[in-house]
Amino acid sequence: MNTGLFTWHTHSDTLCDFKHGLTIAQNSGAKSLLVLTCSQNHYPEDKLSSLLSACPLTIFGGIYPMLTLQNTLLKQGALIIGFNETFDVTVFSQLHQLSNEDKLEDVITTTLEQKKNYCGHDNFLMFYDSLLNNIEDFIDCLFECLDHEINIAGGGAGSLDLIQRPCIFTNQGLHSNAALLVTLPSKLSTGVGHGWRIFQGPFLVSDAHGQTVQSLNYQPAQEVYCQAIESASEHRFNNDNFFDIAKNFPLGIEDINDNLIVREPISADNNHLQWLGNIPINSMVYLLESDTETLISSAEQAAITAFSTASEITSTSMIFDCISRVLYMEDKFEQELDVIAKHCPTPILFGVLSLGEIANSASGAICLLNKSTVISSW
Amino acid sequence: MNKALFIISLQHELAMAIGNKLDLKAMLKVFLKVCFSRLNLTSAHIYVHCDHSGMPRKLAALESKNYQHLLSIPKNKIGQPWQQNSVLSNFAEQLNHAQQNISFRCKNDHFLFGFIIPDHGLLVFETHYALADEVQKALLPILQKLATSCYTSLVHDSLVKEVHSRQLIEEKVAYQAQHDGLTGLFNRQHINHLLTNAIEDAHSSKHIGTIIFIDLNRFKPINDAMGHTVGDKILLTLANRLHSLSSDHIDVGRFGGDEFIMVVKNLNFGYQDAISQLISQINELLAIPFVIDANSYKLSCSIGYALFPLQSSTVNNLIKFADIAMYEAKRAKSKQGKQYQPAMSEKIKRRLAYVDDMKRGLEHGDFKLYYQAQYNHYGDIIGAEALLRWQHPVHGMESPGVYIPIAEESDLILAIGQWVLEQACRDINKLEQLTLPESFKKIAINVSAKQLNQHDFQERVLHAIKQNNIPAERLALELTENLLVENIEDSIKLIASLKANAIDCSIDDFGTGYSSLTYLKRIPASVLKIDRSFVANIEQCNESAAIASMIISLGKTLKMNILAEGVETAEELNCLKVLGCYQYQGYYFSEPLPFDEFIQLLN
Repeated sequence: MNTGLFTWHTHSDTLCDFKHGLTIAQNSGAKSLLVLTCSQNHYPEDKLSSLLSACPLTIFGGIYPMLTLQNTLLKQGALIIGFNETFDVTVFSQLHQLSNEDKLEDVITTTLEQKKNYCGHDNFLMFYDSLLNNIEDFIDCLFECLDHEINIAGGGAGSLDLIQRPCIFTNQGLHSNAALLVTLPSKLSTGVGHGWRIFQGPFLVSDAHGQTVQSLNYQPAQEVYCQAIESASEHRFNNDNFFDIAKNFPLGIEDINDNLIVREPISADNNHLQWLGNIPINSMVYLLESDTETLISSAEQAAITAFSTASEITSTSMIFDCISRVLYMEDKFEQELDVIAKHCPTPILFGVLSLGEIANSASGAICLLNKSTVISSW
Repeated sequence: MNKALFIISLQHELAMAIGNKLDLKAMLKVFLKVCFSRLNLTSAHIYVHCDHSGMPRKLAALESKNYQHLLSIPKNKIGQPWQQNSVLSNFAEQLNHAQQNISFRCKNDHFLFGFIIPDHGLLVFETHYALADEVQKALLPILQKLATSCYTSLVHDSLVKEVHSRQLIEEKVAYQAQHDGLTGLFNRQHINHLLTNAIEDAHSSKHIGTIIFIDLNRFKPINDAMGHTVGDKILLTLANRLHSLSSDHIDVGRFGGDEFIMVVKNLNFGYQDAISQLISQINELLAIPFVIDANSYKLSCSIGYALFPLQSSTVNNLIKFADIAMYEAKRAKSKQGKQYQPAMSEKIKRRLAYVDDMKRGLEHGDFKLYYQAQYNHYGDIIGAEALLRWQHPVHGMESPGVYIPIAEESDLILAIGQWVLEQACRDINKLEQLTLPESFKKIAINVSAKQLNQHDFQERVLHAIKQNNIPAERLALELTENLLVENIEDSIKLIASLKANAIDCSIDDFGTGYSSLTYLKRIPASVLKIDRSFVANIEQCNESAAIASMIISLGKTLKMNILAEGVETAEELNCLKVLGCYQYQGYYFSEPLPFDEFIQLLN
């Protein structure tokens, strides 16, 4: 099955060029468009929203810090993939207002009823606003309420400055605080890797709430974190360099099968540490470290896994790669794209550099990952 | 080393996840979610021991090891709830039977691990890997803690239920303390309370309020004739209608029986219009027929009201005043309602003084029985009606039309009635000593509603007869048609019973009531008395003649004698004869006479 029909991309950051591309896509014979744009583009929100709303084809996608096409990194510009099927797109909007489990469950249950539990659909892509602070509650609840196992890959949209702006695309325009669930027409194969290993720890998460850790080992979290790094490396924290150092030392939650769920630090404030994902209170965590080679190797392994399990009719491959890997590897990041492309059997390989990644865990549950590479193929 | 640390960490994390919620299901869900994420489970399930009604219980308190599925993560499996999954259900059954940890390898290479939550339930994990023995062992103390928390939740749950049921009972008691059981309107006590507050508000806000007293007219006959079930339905319907008028400023209550009350607050200078409008609304609500069990009833009411603080600032006075005004409206048959006037109280005072006069009159022997002879068409005296006369010490001879209704409003009518019964019996005894004309049969006395309602009325009558040693057939009772209709079933029984004791009854004032002919047929009375209103000028009034004729033929059909009252002229007599009425009473024949004179008349 040839699901990928049309690709168009631009390095230009102007809306005019994007509009041109969108027009070509609309006339390409495609029925659904995956639209991805870079957060550094100069697209006026209202005009972009109008363009999306005016498009007669099904639209989904979002604004990401960077994009990839084959083995090329797009730091600005846009990418449009046209499919010859009409994809089913479900928007879960205003998720930030669903402040407790019961409210989330109500919304998800109602939506699932409307969608007849996605009967016959087992494969999904997910695009979401990365600054939604209850995205993990959402995916946990979605998994609990779905009445069948699904394969899923996805990534958080937004920009590197971590300022929330509308970043999710649908035919209704631009959304913030939203998540999109897109059904795929064929089986999704995924490979997941991160390449991070234990550096220090364990530490007991003695006080935490959602994505904020107040204390580790009953000491202020930031102090413990910084001291642990300073005691075992040459890095020294000052008032301005927290993220520059912290991007090298994510947190790892070890699971029962010795897998590490990586959590990326995004800020330190008032001795509390903020992560791009929940850290359970009373859990045992480690500081992690890595190096470029290991990271690239993990991405290659993920590619091998994804592509080796893919069926013969697979035609499209999409990467959800964490933007922090670019920040960590800098110029060497394109090597990661090269190794993925090297193993990719499909004619179309593209991706986003995301703020948080979504994939199935080995048990089948839906997991929020950080600093990881999720390679999907369908 | 790290594995040991992981297990300690896991134990710690799971232990800390226990007891975070008090509700059993919520508490277990928090625990299960942590298990799910930390143990990389594919699915997780909890079953709890339950009693026969499905309520979670401690196993020790149960006769058998009943258990029920409580929750699963995820909720369903391939479109079906987990409860319907046979692999899981069979596994849970085995686990419950074994009451110790078991495991099972599924066809898809997944594993099921079952654990016992001591005394409370079963825990099942589905994994894609084999759960290490040390992890399984590490769970045991956790499950013990979970069991303790389950017990706490159950105790809490029962406490919550108890508190809730206590709250419900307290709410019910509070509601019952304030509301009428039948209609759900405020009861008398609460209306008193509301009125107290309304009076205070009226003082502080310089507003005017009113208390409106509503009493149904002629409701008792419906209640008596159709039964209390119908009466209650009417009251409930009316209550609902009146309740539609309630607002922030209007409270509606049931004062008792067929009496309703409204407390109206925050009226301004235009209060008179507002009250008139409200009374019109009440009358409109009453004007809608009450359809109960396919029968339609028409009702009206009498309304009285008093103003606060203008007319009084005390609850008792205001209610009394509104009640007095209502009675005035009832007497005046006014639909517009009457506002209380002090003169009404004066009238009542006079009335009370009059009742006192009557009491004294009864004690001093100022009441006398006069006898008005009754004749047949041959001119023979066939009997007499005993009529009460009162020689008032100041007013002279009082009209029965004045004092009987007043006596009827108080219980004095019972004492008067008893005196009439006994005096008539004494007089009959005297008559029995004389030689009476063969045609003379009996003396009839009038019986009031209150007398008839005495539970021992028949015994009193028989006792008077026995005490005076007179033949029972010499005494007859006259009951008005309206009185009979008010309590028809009991009246029928009483008349039949009296008849069995040789005491005849006649139906007085026939034609003025609303008696159903169906009932009339069942009343075993001997005489129908045509009311004087149909006799007066009967020869000139076709309508009266028609009614009299109807009564006469009705009496014949029912095999009752017909006696015309108030015959005053020969023309009336002739007309009645022509119509077929052959028994008469009236001034044309004889006026009511003192007993001695009546004896002379007999002779």
